[in-house]
Amino acid sequence: MKAVVVLAVGLAVPGVLPALAAAGRSALVVFLAPVIGAVMAAVAVEIELGLGGSLLPDYAGVAVAVNVAVLAWWVAARRAAGRRRVPPPLTQGAWAWSVLAVLVVAACLAVPLSALRGPIFGGDGNSIWETHALMVYGGHHELLTSLQNVTYQFSNPDYPPLVPAAGALAFKFYGLANLHLAVDMTVLVTACGLGVVAMGLVAVSDVAAAGSGARWPARIVAVATAGAIGVVAFAVSGNFALQGYADLVWATFAVGAVVWGLVLPRSPRALTVAWICAVAASLTKNEGLATALVIIVVIALRYRPLSLPGPMARRWAERAVFVLVPALPGLAWAGIIRVIGVHDAFFKTASGETPLMRAGATIIGMADHLHVAPLALAVLLAGCWFLRDDRQRAGLANPAWLWICCLGSLAIIFGTYLIGGLEIHSWLANSVNRTTIFAQVVLYTDIAVWMILAAEGASSRAPARADREPPPASEHLPEVLDGARQAATDHS
Amino acid sequence: MSGRSDRVAKRIGCAAIVAAAGVGLGLSVHHDVQFTGSVTTAKYVTQENGQLRQEECVYDAIRLFVPKGATVYVTARQFQPTQRLAELSTLWAVPEANIADAQYRLWLVGPHGQFVYPYPLTDAAPDPAKGKCEGLTLEVRRL
Repeated sequence: MKAVVVLAVGLAVPGVLPALAAAGRSALVVFLAPVIGAVMAAVAVEIELGLGGSLLPDYAGVAVAVNVAVLAWWVAARRAAGRRRVPPPLTQGAWAWSVLAVLVVAACLAVPLSALRGPIFGGDGNSIWETHALMVYGGHHELLTSLQNVTYQFSNPDYPPLVPAAGALAFKFYGLANLHLAVDMTVLVTACGLGVVAMGLVAVSDVAAAGSGARWPARIVAVATAGAIGVVAFAVSGNFALQGYADLVWATFAVGAVVWGLVLPRSPRALTVAWICAVAASLTKNEGLATALVIIVVIALRYRPLSLPGPMARRWAERAVFVLVPALPGLAWAGIIRVIGVHDAFFKTASGETPLMRAGATIIGMADHLHVAPLALAVLLAGCWFLRDDRQRAGLANPAWLWICCLGSLAIIFGTYLIGGLEIHSWLANSVNRTTIFAQVVLYTDIAVWMILAAEGASSRAPARADREPPPASEHLPEVLDGARQAATDHS
Repeated sequence: MSGRSDRVAKRIGCAAIVAAAGVGLGLSVHHDVQFTGSVTTAKYVTQENGQLRQEECVYDAIRLFVPKGATVYVTARQFQPTQRLAELSTLWAVPEANIADAQYRLWLVGPHGQFVYPYPLTDAAPDPAKGKCEGLTLEVRRL
C-alpha cells in the first residue's frame, strides 16, 4: 500500500501534465504518468551524481522544469490551434471503451501483483537494485564514493538509475524501516509500463476498427488481449519480476516503444509516447540502453524514411535529431559513469574459450528461452497472408519493424556473450533467461496485434480485398489515425 | 463466386490466427496464474516475511555494533554474505576491499558457528542487539 502511495503521489502526480501533453485526454495517461515520473526521477539521479545535491531537490527541479516547459508548449499550441481545426472531443462510447480497457488491464495486472503480499527478495533485487537505491538515497557524496568503491563491483555500479531512483524516492517518503519497499516500487513501475503496452494494443484495435466497421465482439477480444499481455510478461519473467530485478522493467518499456513507435500509425502523439518509453528503457539497464538505441534508430527511419524526397543533408539532420533527442538521457548516464571511472566487469577479463564454443553455447542457451518464436513466426506468416490489406488499410506499420528490433536486441545480447570475459556456461545459466525477456514479450505482443487484427477481420463487414476507402477519422485516437494515411508508405 | 470464397478463406484464416494466438497467450496466462498461486500460499508468505525480518535484523545489528562512518571488511569465501553485508552496510559503514584498510571485520554464521547458504531461518525471536537474527548471527571483530 505504501508503494502505491509513492507511485501515485511521488511519480504519477508530477507526471500527469507531461502525460496529458503526450497522450492527450486518453486513458493511457493513467499508466503513462508514473512512467514519466520515473524517468524524471532517473534524470534527477543523473544530476545528483554528475552535479551534486540529493534526490528530492534534484527531482523537484526536474519535475518543475518539465511541467513548466509543458505548460509553455500548451499555451503556444493553443494559440496555434486557434487558427486550425480543434480535435473532436471523445464521445461517451469511446470513453466507455477506454475506461473499460483501463479497468480490465488493471484487474489483470492485479493477478501477478498479488504476489507482493509476500516480500519475495534476494539475488539482484537486493545486491544490485536495493543497494543502488540506498546509495541514491544517501545523496551525491554517498552515491559517488559507493559507485567508485571496488567492494561494490558485484553490484554492477555502471547500471542506469531509473529503478534505484524509484526505490530511493519510496525511502524518502517512508524512511528505511521497510527495505522491501524498493522492490515493491520496481514491480509497480513495471506494471505501469505494461499498462502503456496494453493501451497500445487497445489503440491498435481502435485504428483497425475505424475502417472495418467491426462490432463489439472484436473490441472485447482487443481489451481481453490487452489485459492478457501484462500477465504474459510476468509469466515470461517468473520470480525475477517480483524480486525487484530490472530485466522485465526495461523490456516492458522497450516493448512500449515498439508498439507506439513501430506498430501504431505515425503521429506526433504515438512518437512522443514511443520516445518516453525508449528513454525509460535506456535509463533502466545497459541492455535496455542498447536495445533502446536500436528502437530509436528504427523509429527515426520509419518516420523519416530513406525514400523521403528533399535535400539529403536536411533529411539526415532530421534523422540525427530523431535519434539524439530520445537517446540523450541514456547516453548521458553512460558518459557520466565513465567520467567518474566506473566500468562493468563483463569485459574486464579475457575469456580462454574459443568464439565458436561461446557462440554455440549462446545459441543453445538463447533458443531454450525463445519457444514463442515458432508460434510468432507462424502467426506472422498467416497474418501477412490473410490480413495484410487490413493492416495496411488501418495504417499500422509493417511487422518487419518489430521483428528488426527483436532480432537487433538478440544480436546485441549474442554479441555481448560472445566477446564478454565471463565463463560462458555459468554466465548463460545466470542470465540468459532474463536477457531474452524483451524478445519473448515483444513476440507475444506481435501475436496479440495479429490476434486483434484477426478478430476485427473475422467480424468485419468490409470487403475482403484492398479496394476499399481509407478509414474515417476515429473519435478515439484522432491523431494516431491522422497518421494512418502517411503510414501506407511503410509497406512499400 | 471468387469474392465469396475469398471471404470464407479469410474468415477461416482469421479464426485460425485467433485460435493459435489465443492458445499461446492463454497458456502463458495460465502459467502465471499457477506461479502466482505458488508464491501466495500462507506458508510461502510466512517464509518470505521471516527472511525479510532476518535481513532487517542484520541491518539493525550492523548499526548497533559498528560506529557510523567506520570502515569494514565484509569479504567472505562465498559471495552471498559479501554481497549481503556490503548491501546492508550501505549508508552506515564503508566496505573496504583490503582488510588492512578496515577498522572492523563483519561476517555471518549459522546456528552452529558455520556459514551455510541458503541462509538458515529459525523460529528464534530476532535480537539485533546481540546480533542474533533468527538462526543467522552477525559477528563483528575490531581490527
